[in-house]
Amino acid sequence: MNTNLIEDNKCDDQNMETENWNVELSGEIINSRQYTNENLEGEISNLTKTLNSTLNFVENEEIYWQTWEWKSKQHIFILSSAGKPIYSRYGNEDDLVTLFGVMQAIVSVVLDSNDELYFIHTSNKHFSFLRKESLLLVSVSQLPSNSDLSIMRLNYIYNQIISILTLTQLTRIFQQYNNFDLRRLLSGSERLINSFIDFTENEPGFFLNSVECLPLSSSVRDNIAQAIISSCQKIRNLLFAILLAENQLIIIIRMKKYFLLPSDLHLIFNLVSSSQSFRTAEGWTPICLPYFDASGYMQAHVSYLSEECQACLLLLTVDRELFFILSEAKQKIVEKLDRNALLQQIKEAMKKPKIFASEFNVPKLRHFIYKNKNTNQFVFPQYEVPYHIPEKQNSLLLLYCQLCQQLNKPFTSLKLLFQQLKTETVLGWDTKGIELYLIFEPFVTKPEAINAVNKLLKYIKKDEDKLFIVNSPTF
Amino acid sequence: MSTKKKVLLKVIILGDSGVGKTSLMNQYVNKKFSGGYKATIGADFLTKDVMVDDRIVTMQIWDTAGQERFQSLGVAFYRGADCCVLVFDVSLPSTFKSLDSWRDEFLVQASPRDPENFPFVVLGNKIDLENRTIQSKRAQQWCQNKNNIPYFETSAKEAINVEQAFQTIAKNALAQESDQDIYNEFPDQIKLPGDNKLNNSDAGCSC
Repeated sequence: MNTNLIEDNKCDDQNMETENWNVELSGEIINSRQYTNENLEGEISNLTKTLNSTLNFVENEEIYWQTWEWKSKQHIFILSSAGKPIYSRYGNEDDLVTLFGVMQAIVSVVLDSNDELYFIHTSNKHFSFLRKESLLLVSVSQLPSNSDLSIMRLNYIYNQIISILTLTQLTRIFQQYNNFDLRRLLSGSERLINSFIDFTENEPGFFLNSVECLPLSSSVRDNIAQAIISSCQKIRNLLFAILLAENQLIIIIRMKKYFLLPSDLHLIFNLVSSSQSFRTAEGWTPICLPYFDASGYMQAHVSYLSEECQACLLLLTVDRELFFILSEAKQKIVEKLDRNALLQQIKEAMKKPKIFASEFNVPKLRHFIYKNKNTNQFVFPQYEVPYHIPEKQNSLLLLYCQLCQQLNKPFTSLKLLFQQLKTETVLGWDTKGIELYLIFEPFVTKPEAINAVNKLLKYIKKDEDKLFIVNSPTF
Repeated sequence: MSTKKKVLLKVIILGDSGVGKTSLMNQYVNKKFSGGYKATIGADFLTKDVMVDDRIVTMQIWDTAGQERFQSLGVAFYRGADCCVLVFDVSLPSTFKSLDSWRDEFLVQASPRDPENFPFVVLGNKIDLENRTIQSKRAQQWCQNKNNIPYFETSAKEAINVEQAFQTIAKNALAQESDQDIYNEFPDQIKLPGDNKLNNSDAGCSC
């Protein structure tokens, strides 16, 4: 992610007239400025008008637009550099053809003056633009959303497309035919894009750049790893074995010298969670993991362990001919897990509810996130009162997200953040190896909060090897 | 979204200022003609669905002002066009003479894969006017010399030939688009470079 993006533009003034707008451009990385180029005025008002009319169209279809859900959601568009529609999160992109053209035109006008358009803020809409070699990605939100986060989200969506097509294929197809309609290649994969956008809005792993683990005692986890390793030992070209319990990681075993970044793991989570077919039959699917290698596909053997134990096993290889060998290995793994009662252990762990913040008996603590920075793993307790309803969960996530962004702002050395807000008191702490985010009732004092931190840390330390994957086993 | 997508075609309209590009487009899309002339600011977009041989084709029509403003869109205006419509005013010889440079400009900027066979359509507009100076024969001759570009004489004002012209535009563009062969024999597979580490970032997740 480009961390050098320009400062979030504060445009909170809801009293601005609708025609007011400002544009953020940045020619150089750190240089930021507000732009009011007269030549742009026509295009910008054209854009906002068109957008408003098309978004009203969406509203008529009763898709979220006026609800809190929509307020926190972003509209996402993907188009080719020729201005042809590829994807629209809401509405039918065939009905938004004009809008896509206008967006491309605006970005091009700016580009033509050797500049780059990142954001447009109007009084009630906020646009973010991410231009890639062959594609343009645009997000629109009603709230003045965090600009860095919007760009990060667009990058995630771009990576999902790379994951489906590979960068090589995407580049080649547009080099050959710059009028290409990419929907021809993506048809059937829209569900992956849809669910990945949802992921970026609903899962803290996205802004924490981390994964969540299924709590298991370390001996059980080690035994699972051993069962997998011993069944796969003689298989060449096997890169990774990954065991998932929905969006929680049980174990990952890797070939020596190779690692997966959280954002690539998120793509794997998304592939599994949005494909029902793996539940009924083992799958053999190509997948590109952009941070590992954007140029080509890996081949993934995907299957669930058993009817009773719905953990999903992925065996990732670079060898396309390995299906039967991996299928056999999977059988062996299941047998070994079964023989050692590990299937049962996984099943039970998956049935157990997530931990609750309240079980730690820390006074006035409502919720927290604990992130281990060394392993990029985090703990996120079950939502409890008052975060038991989706609307509140959503604002809690936004709150965490802001905290996380503030602590991780580039070129700052903010370590501790304590804020007494209207409905919560929050504390963010960035310390060696750990990021900690605590949400308290309102009117909590700083000493109380610090006390809570110490208490919580003690509990977590005690359970550390259960809550996190501490070893990094290899084949 | 269904697997059988509608087809989308990007159509751009070029020609000197005042030859009636916007009027043609309005006539075609909205079936109306406005007599007054208004310089187009930047690019204008209109969309229209047409049926071509049982397929629904959505035309994304990019219209631009005559000489100066479109320059600001640069290559993006032309990039990925499926068809280019060249318009002149039959009563103004200079607009006819410009066709050559519009066509050249398009081919340079859009650099289509097969310039010889790129689908152009030429429209001689304003045939409702009395003072016609470019005769059909001359325009047809020019089109023949450019690898038989289809030629239509239109009147945006009287709605003459507009529908037919755009039908041909859609048909020719569609024929071109269908030629695209996107299926390569083998998808790209990554290779492990022996013992060399891939370009993994140091920030690797050691989980």
